[in-house]
Amino acid sequence: MESIISTFHIDLKIIIAQVINFGIVLAVLYFYALKPLNKLMKERSEKIEKGIKDAKENAEVLNNTKNEYKDVITKAKNEAHVLFQDGKKEAETKKNQMIEEATKEVAMMIENGKKSLENEKAKMITETKGEIAALAIKMTEKIIGAKLDGTFDEKTVNEINKL
Amino acid sequence: MENPNTTNTIGQEKILHENTIFAEPIYQNKNFTITNALITSWLAVIIIIIISFILRSKLKEIPKGIQNFFEMVLDGALSLCDQITNSRDLSLRIFPVAISAFFFILINNWLGLVPLGGFGILERGKEGLSFIPFLRGGTADINTTLGLAITAVIGANLFGVFSIGAWKTLNKYVNLKVLGEIGKKIKKEPTVILVAPVTFFVGLIEIIGEFAKVASLSFRLFGNVFAGEVLLASMAALVAFIVPIPFIFLEILVGFIQALIFSILLTVYFTIGASDHDDEHEHEEKKEVAIIN
Repeated sequence: MESIISTFHIDLKIIIAQVINFGIVLAVLYFYALKPLNKLMKERSEKIEKGIKDAKENAEVLNNTKNEYKDVITKAKNEAHVLFQDGKKEAETKKNQMIEEATKEVAMMIENGKKSLENEKAKMITETKGEIAALAIKMTEKIIGAKLDGTFDEKTVNEINKL
Repeated sequence: MENPNTTNTIGQEKILHENTIFAEPIYQNKNFTITNALITSWLAVIIIIIISFILRSKLKEIPKGIQNFFEMVLDGALSLCDQITNSRDLSLRIFPVAISAFFFILINNWLGLVPLGGFGILERGKEGLSFIPFLRGGTADINTTLGLAITAVIGANLFGVFSIGAWKTLNKYVNLKVLGEIGKKIKKEPTVILVAPVTFFVGLIEIIGEFAKVASLSFRLFGNVFAGEVLLASMAALVAFIVPIPFIFLEILVGFIQALIFSILLTVYFTIGASDHDDEHEHEEKKEVAIIN
């Protein structure tokens, strides 16, 4: 043992000094390089993992939204189609109804027109009849009156002309 | 023990360039001798501190330059550590010690290769003037490697104490538990009276094993790095130009590999320290039962 120590110049103090050197290296590397670097790398990998996860989720959400959008559009189209068809039907019905009503009204108006014309005609006839009768009576009165006083021919002609 | 030496001359006197197996003293401060290997180690510490501060100041969420490089190294080293420990949690706890040892050894190894070894002092010894370089690879001194090896082995055991508890760690070496179980198990398994002392003895051998670990770790590293320096000096002494270049590259590789081996072994020792023999044994027994069933 002695020979080994003397041959290699083994010195406990230098061994301790070298252990301290290694201790300093360990402390400096750990606190100034490894710990922050490891933390940074860990944070980065967590961020990347989160990023990938988020991207996947976003893609899923986007896909779902696309599908939903398609569904909504299809639904809206169908609804619009149904509404359009309903509207069309309603319009048709209304049109037919209006035409029918208009036809009825026109028929009624014609009927009323006819009726009033007939009434007017009847009224006119009645009035004319009355006037003719009155005229005949007047004429008769006149004729009879003139005969009695001898002025019939001249006066009657003038009277008739005055009418 | 002397190695291939080269000589220069100043006037009439020869200067001896010696590759000693020990680190040469540069300065004596009372009882403390500052050797050239210690100076190199301080330089390595300063380099690591500077790199750490630069890295710390340039940390950004989106990595660039030095941060990119260190993240790559960190990631690779951590996955290598995972292969040894089989657990990310355990890896994260051992990793700082292992990577610190790696960088400290690597820079010390490589500093032994830089041509700054040409600067030094002349000292008059027994054989006349001899040249003592200011820098010598930190790991080319047994004191450095011994310090690191002792730290690794004691650290592994302390790590075991904190991970699985003092009682279980103690039972790895002085297996009191197995002796205590003789009374319990003797009726069921009479063979325990033979097995238990053997197990206890194996535990004692483990204590020797721990010293062997210190010896193997320190001498492996020291031997490789010192041999590299001697090799380079020999090559430079034979042919000064071009010929040593491939050997310098070889030594760069050796420096890296030795640092890697040391840190991997350190990780292995820490993992063994944190593993519980009883749990493994029970697990194996359960497996056997499951297979039989």
